[in-house]
Parts: sequence; C-alpha cells; structure tokens
Amino acid sequence: MQRTSGQLAMLAAINILLLIVGAAISGGSFLSIFNLQSMASQLPEIGLLAIGVMLAMCAGNGGIDLSGIALANMSGVLSAVIVSSFLSSGENDLAFSLAFIVVALAIGFSGGLINGILIARLNITPILCTLGTQMAFTGLAVVVSGGRAVMVGSPDLLSRIGNDMLLAVPISFLIFIVVAAVIAAALKYTPYGLWLMLMGTNPKAAIYAGFPKNGVLMATYAISGTLSGLAGVIIAARNVNVKFDYGSSYLLIAILIVVMAGVKPEGGYGRVVCVVLSAVALQLMSSLLNFGGLSNFVRDFAWGLLLLTFLAVGRYDVVGFVFPGNRRRVDTGVKPSSTGT
Amino acid sequence: MKAKTKKMLAGTFIATAMLAGTATTLVAQEKPVIATVVKISGIPWFDRMNTGVEAFQQANPDVQASQSGPATADSAQQLQIVQDLIAKGVNALAVVPMDPAVLEGAFKRAMERGIVVVTHEADNQMNTQADVEAFDNAEYGAALNERLAECMGKAGKWTTFVGSLGSRTHMQWVGAGEENAKKYADMQLVDPNNESFDDANATYEKAKEVLRKHPDIKGFQTSAGNDVLGVGRAIDEAGLSGKVCLVGTGLPNPSADLLESGAITAIGFWDPQKAGMAMNAVAKLLVEKKELTDGMDLGVEGYNKVSIKKGAGDGVLVIGNGMVLADKSTYKDHMF
Repeated sequence: MQRTSGQLAMLAAINILLLIVGAAISGGSFLSIFNLQSMASQLPEIGLLAIGVMLAMCAGNGGIDLSGIALANMSGVLSAVIVSSFLSSGENDLAFSLAFIVVALAIGFSGGLINGILIARLNITPILCTLGTQMAFTGLAVVVSGGRAVMVGSPDLLSRIGNDMLLAVPISFLIFIVVAAVIAAALKYTPYGLWLMLMGTNPKAAIYAGFPKNGVLMATYAISGTLSGLAGVIIAARNVNVKFDYGSSYLLIAILIVVMAGVKPEGGYGRVVCVVLSAVALQLMSSLLNFGGLSNFVRDFAWGLLLLTFLAVGRYDVVGFVFPGNRRRVDTGVKPSSTGT
Repeated sequence: MKAKTKKMLAGTFIATAMLAGTATTLVAQEKPVIATVVKISGIPWFDRMNTGVEAFQQANPDVQASQSGPATADSAQQLQIVQDLIAKGVNALAVVPMDPAVLEGAFKRAMERGIVVVTHEADNQMNTQADVEAFDNAEYGAALNERLAECMGKAGKWTTFVGSLGSRTHMQWVGAGEENAKKYADMQLVDPNNESFDDANATYEKAKEVLRKHPDIKGFQTSAGNDVLGVGRAIDEAGLSGKVCLVGTGLPNPSADLLESGAITAIGFWDPQKAGMAMNAVAKLLVEKKELTDGMDLGVEGYNKVSIKKGAGDGVLVIGNGMVLADKSTYKDHMF
C-alpha cells in the first residue's frame, strides 16, 4: 500500500500548495468564503462524472465510460421535457423538483444499464460501446429538445440544490461528497467492491473463481450512468436550463482527473478519495488561473504538465516497487488487460 | 518511499512554481474592474474584440478593462470563467455568451451581488442589465439575403449554414433570410440550416456534399465567421467561382483571397472591436449608475445614436447601426 499513500500525499500536497499560491497572488481573496463556495459548487458536475469513469476503468478489460457528459445532458433534457409535459414548475415546486430528479436519475440509470448490457452480454469493447452510446444519447437529446436549451426554471427544491448552502457549504458539494463516500464505502466493504477490483486485476481468474462477471459489469456501468444522471440534475439546478452540448470538454477532463488520481487504466485499482482530491486540484488550478487573469491556454498547459508529472511518478513507482518485471507499467492509453494467456 | 515522496513533491513544486511565476499579474485594484468574457480565445474575431477592449482601457484610465475566454468552444468552460470572476469580485461583466441559457443562473447570482452584467449577441438573455447588439438581427439577415438574391438573379436553389442549431443569432439571420427570399417566388430553399460548428474544414466537407447533392445550386447564405472560408473553398475547387453565389458573415482579412477569386460574393460583418468598446462603454455607464437613453452616443463608431428597446428580461437592448456589407471592391476599406 505504499503506492496509495504516496499518491494521496502528493494530491494533498498539491491542493495545499495551490491554496497557498492562490492566497499569495490574490492577496487573500482566493481563500475568501465566497470563492471557496463558488469553487465547491463548480466541482460536483465534473467530480461525479470522474467517479463514473473511475469505476468503469477499475472493471478492467479496457473499461472506460465516454458517455458520461452526454448521458448527463440527456437525463436533464429528457427529464425536463417529460416532467414539464404534465407538471408546471410554477404550480407545484416540490412535486416538479422531485419528479425531475427521479426521472433524471432513472434515465441516467437506464442509460448506464444499456452500456452495461452491451458490454457484458454482447462483449463490445467499452471504449467503442460508450463512444456509440455517447453519440446516441447526444442525438436523442438534440431530437427531443430540437437543439435548443430546455428551461427547467428555479423551482424551490432544485434551486436550493443549485444555489443554497448548508452550514456555509454548497448543497451540491455536500451531495457530491456523500455520494463519493457511499461509493468509497461500497468499494471497500461490500463483495461488489472486491469483485470489481479482482476482476479488473485478472478477468480470466475472476471467471474461473465464479464471480458474477456480467452482474458486476452491468452494476458498474449502471452506477456510472446514475452518477451522470445526478450530474445532470446538478447542472439543471445551477444553470436553470439544460442543453445537449453543455460541457463537451468534460469528457477528457474527467479522464484526466481519473488518471491523475492514480487509477490504473488497465483496471483493478482506484481510490475514490484520490479522484475527489484530483478533481479538487484541477478546480483550484483553473480558478487560480482565472483569478490571475491568465489565458485559458495556460490552463491546458498546466494540466498537461501535472498529468505528465503524475504519469512519470506512477511509472517509476510501478516499475521500481511493484512489478520489477516491467509487465504492468502505467500507461496513458486504454489498452486491453495485460493478463495474456 | 521517502525518496519517492520527495521526488513527487519536487515535481509538484516545479509545476506550481511555474504557475505562480506566471500568475503574478494580479495587482491591488482600487479602480472599477470591467471583465470582458468572450466565447473562445485565440480566434481572429475575438482577437479583434480584444483590441477594442485595449483601446477602451487606453481611453478610460479610470477603470480596469481586460478580456478573457475559454480555450475550447464549450459553454461549461465559459460558465466557469464567469463564476470565478464573480467570486473574484469584479465590478462589471461584459460577456459574449456561448450559450445565453447556460449563463442565466450565474448572471442572476452576479446581479444579486451587485455586479453589473452587460451582454453582446444575446438578445434573449433574461438576466442582464443591457444587451448590446451591433444591429437589428432581422435586418442583417434580410440584408445578407437581399445581396444573395441580387447575385442569384432572384431565382434558383439556395441553402443556409449556421454555426449550430443552438446559436440564436445565426438562426435569426437565416430565418430573416428565408423570410426575405419569400419575396422571390423562383428562389427555392434546399436542405437549410447545415451546422458548421464554426469549423472551416467541416464546412468545406459539408459544402462539397451539398454541391454534389444539388449540382444546380445557385446560392449559399452562411452565418458563422469561418463558414464563408469553408464554403468558398469548396466553390473555388469545384470551379464554380462567380457561378455560385456566397454571402455570409466573415472577416475581410481571412476572406480576401476568396473575395478576389470571386468564390465569395459578399461578406457581412460588424466590427468586433467596436462591439467590445461599446460593451465596455455601457458597462462603465452602468457602474457609474448613469442612465441609458434612447439615441445616446456611446462614443464608439457605429454606436453614435443607439436605440434602446426593452430586452427579454428586466434589462434593455442597446442597438447600434454597425452593419457592414463588403464585396470585392469595398473590403479593402476594412482590413482586419
């Protein structure tokens, strides 16, 4: 477990460092309550998607979920269209909000389940499958919304999720932390978590050991889809409107977060707490650059630099400490499991 | 383990030190800060707008004006910048929304915090105090189409390109164009509203498809800034320069070659430099709690006598008369 603590220490150090740098260049206003709240409320959308990608990656066999943001947008758009066809947000705030949330989560769950079924039952490579469903989800959202933004409005409950604070912490951020904690606990203490990681480590052995492979895969993608649905709810709550092409850059950022968090691209290892810290680090860095009034191209450069640093460290780590045979090095790309016959 | 952690921390320090080194531009601010946020940084249109923001800063040393924008064309990225600027505590935001709907929530929170919000190219924005438009969008679309009809001899097949179906101004322009074309019974609209995503290459491919599908097509009306380049190249390569008409939004400098060869009939535009100055001028007036009145002079060319109309929300529309239509003989007067 040396690797884990090293990664965690490094992520924590980066976060603290970014906060110090931010405070230094902004004369303290970077650490003002309002900015901390503002950054915390920007985080959940991308954080939830990143956790979904992490789960898919842990499943091994080239697992990845590219459909995250597309599914989030589709959940928001479809749910807004469906719910507002029989409820108006002006009349019954609470009912509208609840219906919107339930329908969006259900759509996210079903979308994820479709991914899971395609991957587990039909044995489609995850990267191709989720690329296909990503386009299908986006397409469906375009057709249903006619390419326009769909108004969700600010009914009471939803607008609270998007804008209000509980004990000075944005509610959307609390939701994110609770969900992350639940998933972390599930990975650590339930048979599902054990199955997922072992299956990612060696799928063949997992099958011979009698793991419910299809069940685990479907559950994994269904959870990832539900997280997308939740991201869709939070996007709708914050932005008042939902649209099919929102956050097109999130796809790669989510993968960046996951790789930075030390999740193994070939499966079998990943920690939720690292993903959360990694997402926080990216958020701090991008807000820092906006505070400094720097070009956003510098941000891409800085992210790339961070990622390369992590990969270099991860690689030495793996090669030097865990697998001297150089068989399982960490790589940027997704590749089939290295457990050859 | 110790050594490894040290190595990691060293890497981290290098990365962050570089950031810190470059991010020292922030100075203590007493003057009101007007932050301009554009759709995308680093494209000619918004580089030109940046010159306007800089000119405004020169002319108004009593405020601090600067421009920023996302590196990728994604409304979520623009939203993040706006949110960070709100948290930073600027006095005014002058935003060219990628997608007005996505920014509504953030603008509402900004105005609740007493930040002045001014927009451009977003006449449907609810949460803004003033939306600056270079011209009336319907008039612009109709003017483009009129020029196209003139070139086509008021007859034949024609089609339209928009940046994306979600881009409101583009849809307004082609909508007004379609409306205008109804005057001429022989003009036949085919496969309208092709999406270009402001990508000259993708537009080129799409235009080739259109030319293959409709060999007898006579005209293109395009909307996004790069569309004329893509469609123009397709027309040029097909040897149809001068035979197929192309009128659309574009900038003189990049379009110069294609205007000369006759692949582009005419380009319509407004000067983003002036729009940037006008936005900042309005923002400054609002920061100083001054009134916007019909017919007032913003001190910017093309905005000397703006008309004030009621906007989509509580704010107002500030409409200038900055429309420019240029063809082969006149584009040289506006080189940017």
